[in-house]
Amino acid sequence: MTDVVFFVAVGWMTLLFSAGVVLVIRRDSAVDRIQALDVLSLILVALLVLFADSQESSYYLDVALIVSLLSFVAIIAAARYFGRGRIF
Amino acid sequence: MELAIAIIQDALVILGLVIMTIGVYGVIRFPDIYTRVHAASKAVFLGVISILLATVLSGGADVVLRAILIGVFLLLTTPVAAHTIAQAAYQRGEPMKTPGAIDESESGLPEKSDEPRD
Repeated sequence: MTDVVFFVAVGWMTLLFSAGVVLVIRRDSAVDRIQALDVLSLILVALLVLFADSQESSYYLDVALIVSLLSFVAIIAAARYFGRGRIF
Repeated sequence: MELAIAIIQDALVILGLVIMTIGVYGVIRFPDIYTRVHAASKAVFLGVISILLATVLSGGADVVLRAILIGVFLLLTTPVAAHTIAQAAYQRGEPMKTPGAIDESESGLPEKSDEPRD
């Protein structure tokens, strides 16, 4: 990947991430915020994958895998708690 | 050959960026949570897959295996998370604001409440 594309992609993805953070803060319903957090975790995984490509290091991908694992569990727990009042 | 791979990688990254931008725009603009879930779980996820493909093209074996692992894991978990979010919204009675929305369940959408219920 050329350097120009990498910098443009990282900058643009940071903008998307900021939009997601604004969504998490400004939405009025809790389930909307949970869903915005889901979007945030996906954008974070994409950023980490971009860095793994540019640094040619696989450690960033380990971090991306763990972030996606943890955010999945967190989203499921938060959504079930919001819907039923208990997780299990 | 390396130049061709670099160009294909650039194209895939830009494609992923465009798809993710469309997804985030959908999350901002759609009228209710039931439609927002579509934008988040399909469009943004496809953008991540496109960027993963760009990484796979140039990396060694360790990068390729981890990228495949991340792709398969996201493919399995994103629909489950979206389903759980939509189910929670329905159980709490989030209103459907999309024009022409049809609720086909027998019980119907419950009243919007501040307390969760079983």
